[in-house]
Amino acid sequence: MTTTEILPDDAVLRAARRARVLAAMEAADVDVLVLGREANARYVSGTPRLWTAGSRAFGPGCVVVRATGAVHLLSTWDEGVPDEIPHDHLYGITFNTTNFVTVLSGIEGAAAARTVATDGLTPGFAQLLPMAFPSATLVDGEQMLARTRAVKTPEEVEAIRASVGHAERALAAAEAALVPGVTERQLTGVFMQAMATGGITTPAGQDVAWITSRTSPWQRTSRDTPVAEGDLVAFEAGVVAGGYAGELTRTHRVGADGTDGDDTRDEPSDADLSRRQHELWERLVAACRPGAPASALLDAYDGAGLPAPPVPVARGLGLGFDLPLVTHALPRTAADQPLEAGMVLVLTAWVWQEGVGARFDQEPLVITPAGPELLSTHPFRATPR
Amino acid sequence: MPAGLMATAPVRHIPDEADLARMHRERSERIRGVLRKQGIDALVLLGNTNVAYAAGAVWPLADSGRANFEQPVAVVVADDEVPHLFSPVRDDEQLRAELPADHLHGPVYLDFDEGVQKFAEQLAALVPSRPVVAIDEWTNAMRRETSILFAGDAPVDGGKVISRCKLTKTPDELACMRAGLEITERAIAQVQARIAPGVRQTDLTATFLRTIFDAGADANILDPIWQVMPPRMADGPWTTTGDLACPLLSTERELVEGDVLWVDTGVSYAGFHSDFGRTWIVGREPDARQRAQFDRWRAIMDAVLEVTRAGATAGDLTAAAVAAAGGVKPWMPHFYLGHGLGIDSAEMPYVGSDIGEAFDASLVLSAGMVLVLEPIVWDDGAAGYRAEEVVLITEDGWEPMTDYPYDPF
Repeated sequence: MTTTEILPDDAVLRAARRARVLAAMEAADVDVLVLGREANARYVSGTPRLWTAGSRAFGPGCVVVRATGAVHLLSTWDEGVPDEIPHDHLYGITFNTTNFVTVLSGIEGAAAARTVATDGLTPGFAQLLPMAFPSATLVDGEQMLARTRAVKTPEEVEAIRASVGHAERALAAAEAALVPGVTERQLTGVFMQAMATGGITTPAGQDVAWITSRTSPWQRTSRDTPVAEGDLVAFEAGVVAGGYAGELTRTHRVGADGTDGDDTRDEPSDADLSRRQHELWERLVAACRPGAPASALLDAYDGAGLPAPPVPVARGLGLGFDLPLVTHALPRTAADQPLEAGMVLVLTAWVWQEGVGARFDQEPLVITPAGPELLSTHPFRATPR
Repeated sequence: MPAGLMATAPVRHIPDEADLARMHRERSERIRGVLRKQGIDALVLLGNTNVAYAAGAVWPLADSGRANFEQPVAVVVADDEVPHLFSPVRDDEQLRAELPADHLHGPVYLDFDEGVQKFAEQLAALVPSRPVVAIDEWTNAMRRETSILFAGDAPVDGGKVISRCKLTKTPDELACMRAGLEITERAIAQVQARIAPGVRQTDLTATFLRTIFDAGADANILDPIWQVMPPRMADGPWTTTGDLACPLLSTERELVEGDVLWVDTGVSYAGFHSDFGRTWIVGREPDARQRAQFDRWRAIMDAVLEVTRAGATAGDLTAAAVAAAGGVKPWMPHFYLGHGLGIDSAEMPYVGSDIGEAFDASLVLSAGMVLVLEPIVWDDGAAGYRAEEVVLITEDGWEPMTDYPYDPF
């Protein structure tokens, strides 16, 4: 589909997401929600705003009032803003924090609000928000939003599937450029060019290609090192389309002709790596059941006799970062987090061997009542075909 | 066609090469100087650009949503000249050369109580007991940690520490910035060569993204803007200010002959952000009215540069701009006449922003500051002209950091 104008997110998607947030506010007795994270603001407002790279410090980018159901949005113009956010609910860019206090305190319901939840805070806004909400206690809104966003509506799953498709097409271009002599940075450029030619201009990450290290699980020399024959090169392909992240990772061994060597031509040690990755993948898929604790995914590594990977074993996909985050660094969190139908994850199959490198693949999937359903159709060697 | 800014003024204070080790050492001295002065024992930084500044770490910045879980954290201890970095990102040769192994730590997950508890334990091992901690921002999970992060009252504002340190740039930093600006200009030249009817805005982005990485950029920092300006302001979207809507997002819209494009892009290189702005016309030479817009823009830019020097106030610059524009403010009310540039795309000093005229009058420019000047000329009925120039403030004036020609004007 060709997009030639900036439109709000689909009305069904918007209504479902907003209803969920208002219900969560009701359940937690939160009067006003002040959101700084772009993904949270997008979730409730359905408005595409300018993409910038990197983290952003908290600021009041979007305000939701439970009593009126109103969404107030930081946007100097109405392009891409849906009808349910009228002009008088828009407030413009400001560099003057006093203006934020004026805007926020003028919102209907601000003066009487008893509980105001935020998704983060800075020292400055910790002082300013009590001025805008004089009767309120400031509480945690991020946990509420994260739980709300973790389970996807069917429309969200389709949006993520579409994003994965965009990522796959750009990935194919980068894979085709994998020949000895090309650098990681150049491969990233090829991916980005293909992504934008495909109509999507916003990546999920910008570290697309990595020559896995033979000496350390998680290091690189520099992004300008040329790829050499026999290298295992991982492509982390991620785009943000319609706000939703679509991501997958694929590792290829650089053959003399630039193509991925098939199993029969692999060096013995790489064949061993592939075999172990395959076994790991089967354990991961088996653990990916609704109702199971997320820690079952950690156990899959232990069961396969593999060390913890340097990246999370699983993390949620959605508007940016979503629950669950499953990593060996947070075992209690994983044990307390059940996997649920409707969660969308990127699942990491990671194996590394000294002297060889890593096979690092990540698979986007949705958990259904029957088990995991893959969202990517891009070839992954650990998936039996 | 007029050449770029460097045809009008020489470059004297910006070295060709940066000494990165010296750059990081000098930053560490600046930061710890502020910490000692304010009685702060440890500075904890979460903001990507603050971490890049304090720890000298360079990594390709991700989408802001992904940045929430892939979040490097820097800790500067007042009596340790080397910062600590807690990072989920692959480290490279350069980082390993800068930071000893005992200062390079694995990732921390500060959106989770368990992650914060682990981080608090690690932090406690690095600092004296009952430390005074400064933080630039915090997650709600951090707010629940009361043993070290919120042991006393609210922590000191760590963002302000960095704001103060980064306000003026060292020669090594200027060399990095100039390199990033050059990369941007090289990529932009490729994009400008593609401008033609039938080309989509996203095609321009494709060329830009490919060429910035080929030219050595670490990341793109802004979904590139190639905004087709409406002839009349009233033909554009509604705005809260009643003024122009800009920047608007790019789509697969095809360019049409005669379109007036306002361009705004930036990249990240060596931890610094670049900024670029020009006006182009699709498939046509500018007409007399458009040339007149450009001439007025040049006159405004020249008038501002005439008063730009260390010791001048931001108010001196805005006054010069307003006078040259015939009494109106030649910038968009939701932005500014100019802004600082460095580890962030827009940082202090802001010139002509809604912080107000009293602020502008009190803001004194000093040598080593880097300013992006971005006046506009709006000529309702025939769109307008906007471009950006980046200059270094020096004791006796200014020095160009950008050198892109004004073609087709």
